Amino acid sequence: MAALSPLSVALLVAVTVGLAAAILAWRERPEPGATWLAVLLTGQVWWATFLVFELEATTLPAKALWYDVQWVGVVAIPVGWLFFALAYTGYDRYVTPFSVALVSVIPVATVAVAAAGDPGDLLAVDRVVRETAVGTFLDVVPGPLYYVIAGYTYLLGAVGSVPLIQLIRDDARPFRGQSAALLVGTAAPWAGNLAHLSGAVPIPGLDPTPLAFAVSGVAYLLALSRFRLLTLAPAPRRRARQLVFEQLHDPVFVVGTEGLLVDLNECAAETFGIDRRDAIGEPAATVVPKYDAIRELDGTDADKPRPIPIVGRDGQRPYEATVRDVVDDHDRTTARVITFHDVGAYLGQQQRLNVLNRVFRHDVRTETNLIQGYAEQLRSDPTDERALSIIEESAGRMLELSERTRTAGELFDPTEESETAPLTDAVDEAVAEARAVAPDARIEVGQVAPVPVPVVLEVVLGNLCTNAVRHNDADAPWMRIDAAVADGWVEVTVADDGPGIDPAEYDVLDRGTETPLRHGSGIGLWIVKWGVDHLGGRISFDEREPTGTVVTVCVPVDRSETPGADSDGEPPDPPLDDSATTGESASLGPPPNAGR
Amino acid sequence: MANEPTRPSAPDGTTAQYRSHATPSDSGTLRLVAAFVAGAPFAGLVAAVEVAVVTAALGVPLSAAPVAVGLVAFAVYAADHVADAEGDIGSTPVRARIALRYADQLMVAAAVSYGLAVALAAGAGPAALALVLVPGAVWIGYATDWLPAAGDLVAPLGEVSVPRLKDVFLLNSAAVALAWAVAVVAAPLAFAGVPVDSAGAPAVALLFAYVFARSFVDVEVPNVRDVAADAARGVATLPVVYGVSGTRRALLAVDAVAAGLLAATAATGAASTPALAALGVGLAVSVTVTALADRLGGAALGVAPDCSYLVAGAVLLAIGW
Repeated sequence: MAALSPLSVALLVAVTVGLAAAILAWRERPEPGATWLAVLLTGQVWWATFLVFELEATTLPAKALWYDVQWVGVVAIPVGWLFFALAYTGYDRYVTPFSVALVSVIPVATVAVAAAGDPGDLLAVDRVVRETAVGTFLDVVPGPLYYVIAGYTYLLGAVGSVPLIQLIRDDARPFRGQSAALLVGTAAPWAGNLAHLSGAVPIPGLDPTPLAFAVSGVAYLLALSRFRLLTLAPAPRRRARQLVFEQLHDPVFVVGTEGLLVDLNECAAETFGIDRRDAIGEPAATVVPKYDAIRELDGTDADKPRPIPIVGRDGQRPYEATVRDVVDDHDRTTARVITFHDVGAYLGQQQRLNVLNRVFRHDVRTETNLIQGYAEQLRSDPTDERALSIIEESAGRMLELSERTRTAGELFDPTEESETAPLTDAVDEAVAEARAVAPDARIEVGQVAPVPVPVVLEVVLGNLCTNAVRHNDADAPWMRIDAAVADGWVEVTVADDGPGIDPAEYDVLDRGTETPLRHGSGIGLWIVKWGVDHLGGRISFDEREPTGTVVTVCVPVDRSETPGADSDGEPPDPPLDDSATTGESASLGPPPNAGR
Repeated sequence: MANEPTRPSAPDGTTAQYRSHATPSDSGTLRLVAAFVAGAPFAGLVAAVEVAVVTAALGVPLSAAPVAVGLVAFAVYAADHVADAEGDIGSTPVRARIALRYADQLMVAAAVSYGLAVALAAGAGPAALALVLVPGAVWIGYATDWLPAAGDLVAPLGEVSVPRLKDVFLLNSAAVALAWAVAVVAAPLAFAGVPVDSAGAPAVALLFAYVFARSFVDVEVPNVRDVAADAARGVATLPVVYGVSGTRRALLAVDAVAAGLLAATAATGAASTPALAALGVGLAVSVTVTALADRLGGAALGVAPDCSYLVAGAVLLAIGW
């Protein structure tokens, strides 16, 4: 066989490095982009290999045959480049069988035309063999399809370069290196082809594009080995960031500068019962809960988030909202990210610690001092029945305090959270407890709907009913319990004719914290409040004429069945008993400044 | 000894024999280098010499064929050693350890070697290019999961499962032998641009059959050493199925056939007599190695069969090729 032309030798160098890179890329499958990079490199090797055959062929038909075969590699390169760039940079959702088929239409048509012998001279109007100093070329006068596929190649090359150029600006050095090597590997043959098309190459018929594949191969080999091109691909980063946004356990809204909702995560949609497809594009004020209040968190307030009671699918919860600006590369604010953090558990725990601290520090000590004092009195006078009676009552109160403390602990037992029971059972249980405490009490039970409610409501109602009859100084205590269901909310009203609750008691609940000077008595009302908070509901107290109290508890029927929040994010107003007055009302939502 | 099953004695699959040999630190580096050279580089060298001897036997001009086939052999065996490194721990622990530790470097070397071989072949023309691609294509079907995956794609319900060629009894060795026979005998002709008729079609066919038979023996002899590991992995080889004695008898029979083919080639008069004589000496070495298969150490058994070609090459040089 005759000696190879210098041009063929140069092309064989491109074949060597290109094929080596293709094998290494193929080996990295299924890393993102590995297959498509192998396709790209194989296309280059194919083109260069058959160009060698064309150069070394001695007849026009033989050269024309190898020229036509090269089209397979020529058209594979831009397709491989585009889908490699997309898959490698994390835009793999655009790499689908449909998109591949769509993008491949023109390349496949080109190969088909070449295979069919170029009918109508679509690819080449004329082919001439030219003798030059560096070899014998097939000088081709391009046909219309040639320009179409050339333009198409440039288009795909440009589109694929966009995400890679973005990587050059990335903070991570390996990705910058990878991207730079890839772009050099692509730019070299691109420049060669531009020189050919523009007529800048002095040798007629010589397309230096395949020669530049040697540069491409080296660049790709460098990217593969030095910059760990496929073993350290940036593709997962986009997915990971999106995943974090979507899977975040806090509701997040993205609001554009015009006040329209740009995005929200899955937690936000689930928590507040929002349809994402409908919500995006809507004014934020109609979608984001308490948006008007949150919007005021600009400036200094943004650093001091405060709990905001919001009603979602899980009922009323205290959320802490934080607002962060989304700033572009030119320091322009393009959107605001509003994050809601559920602080109910934190606030509840803080309240429990405060109350239990007070119980042990104040209530237990008071009772103990009482027992100790009257015990000494009994030592001097063992017949003192009053002292004995006081000791017994005090010990009883301590026992009851102990029991309620245990009940308070059980309220937050996670195993109880998902259990439900019919509302009728909960009411019956509460009434039975009240009868056990006060057998002579007149207890009336109104209409009770048989809807499922969390079992925690039993504890709440039990405490309310026993308190209603226990702290009633009437000869025959009266109590009535009613339960209504509206819009997915259960409203239970417990009314009594007792002396009423000292407003200072529920003022403390409203505030959410106790102090040595301002505190409640016992923990019964706290258990009621914690139970209602735990259920995401609310509680209100009203005085009753002529005497007594009306306590209304409003909780969701069932979390899984509760519809979305009202537009204002509040549960409906609780129905009031006919005998109740509307004079004083204390709404006990989560304390606005508790723990802050 | 080679005929003693090397049962794994540790959870990592290493054997007592392996550990005791690996312990001395002063000879560790030397052993690693020796194991590396005895692996893919040795296979490449043998393939190159094989092609050179066949080139001489066919009487065609010397070309880049030995280099190209040698590079392909190196690439294929290096890739094979990397791909099967974990499975080879029991049979060839040092080589497997090298393959595991330097997997990336070996694959880069294999890829560049294959690229260079293809470039050399492309420079020699389309026929040479096609020939150089044959061993690589056979290796893909032989060692990778490409065939089983394709089988699953065709019959997804699992009624028909296509195994790796490497796991099919006799066909595995036959496929390897066929690939090398094609490359070794056809490459000199293709690279030199000599038509088969010019070299003598009967001589070419007989030499092809000879190389096929010899390659089959060369593939099966090391399986005597790997019998325990192959049996554990469920790979059927001659030693696994017929035992060491049965394998020895079968391979000696194949060597006898090879001797007959060599004689027939000589009878055609189209082949170079000195080259055929050199191949005859190599065949004698092969028969000796086959006869001693159960008495040679594991490392020796890995290279001894292929050494017959090196001996043949040396003889050819000595008698004035």
